[in-house]
Amino acid sequence: MIRARLILDELRAQGVTDVLGVPDNAAKALLDLLATQPAIRVLTVTREGEAFAIAAGLWVGGRTPLVLIQNTGLLESGDALRGTAMRMRVPLVCLVTVRGHARMVARGPAPAAEALDAELLSRPDLDSVALLTEPTLRAWGIPWEVVSSDADLPRLSDAFRRSREREQLVAVLITGETGGP
Amino acid sequence: MTKDDVLRPLARRRGEAVVVTTMGAVRPWAALSDHPLDFASADSAMGHAADFALGVALAQPRRQVICLNGDGSMLMSLGTLVTITASGATNLVLFVLQNDTYEVTGNQPVPGAGRVDFAGMARAAGFPRVHAFADATAYAAALPSILEDPGPVCVTVKVEPGAEGPLGRGPEEAAAYLRPSLAQSARQLRRALAGPG
Repeated sequence: MIRARLILDELRAQGVTDVLGVPDNAAKALLDLLATQPAIRVLTVTREGEAFAIAAGLWVGGRTPLVLIQNTGLLESGDALRGTAMRMRVPLVCLVTVRGHARMVARGPAPAAEALDAELLSRPDLDSVALLTEPTLRAWGIPWEVVSSDADLPRLSDAFRRSREREQLVAVLITGETGGP
Repeated sequence: MTKDDVLRPLARRRGEAVVVTTMGAVRPWAALSDHPLDFASADSAMGHAADFALGVALAQPRRQVICLNGDGSMLMSLGTLVTITASGATNLVLFVLQNDTYEVTGNQPVPGAGRVDFAGMARAAGFPRVHAFADATAYAAALPSILEDPGPVCVTVKVEPGAEGPLGRGPEEAAAYLRPSLAQSARQLRRALAGPG
């Protein structure tokens, strides 16, 4: 578990003004906390791709947005994030909760991208979206950090720094549920 | 109506509004306007001009933001109609230029060409003000009040198909602001908006 309060503290320290995304179970505790923060606007979108276009507009308008989505939504967002946040070189951090991570880890080391095939991606004991998340980020040219516990949270700070230095989208994979206190 | 019937009166009245264009509206608007607050959502992601414009509107609540969207682009992201109304933005004017075709790829018909009621969908999505025009005179007469009323506003206009191709973002573009990359254009607009918003 990753304490939502610590994530929120980092978002506030980074000056995040707007959080855009679609809710999922792993982010529930963080979303509950964000709902108590009048200084941070939370906007739920109808599809994750919208979040990247709105975030780009917010940044152009002088705000500091953050995208919070599940890895399924990351895959949904392909052309939207490519054509907006990436192509506009928006310094943007995207928190991605990783559905299926626990089952993937239980199976053993994550398979190499070359090993992904129809047989592996259709196995009922694995969630194919977990298998595809990091290979997809790599293919799309998006750097990422992995946060699995409270001890990893400095990587969230690193992601903000990298996004600003490189003027680009950086993903942070949240591999556990957010919780409290 | 022609696109010029729609865009020319708007260019005269846009004031200090941000104008986001996409697809078949990009070059026709650039032929009428060369303003620091013009932005072409082109060479980007089809279907994401309206949500980009929403982001600008939310960031700049005291400035009007006008989006010149196409019907094919709107069909790609109908959920954005709901996101706009749910966001609380009151400074967004969303035009849907309805020519019933994918103009930049050669005017193939969009799904539901001639039958889709974008104004009805905008009302159903919760837009408090929706206008639909097929006549240039009626449009020109109504435009001043449309731009003065609080939003979000959706304006659908039936226009004839044109012959615009994709944007090149290079020296071949007649309008100077269409030549820089999308990233450079985004920074230019960000700088232009850096004042009180």
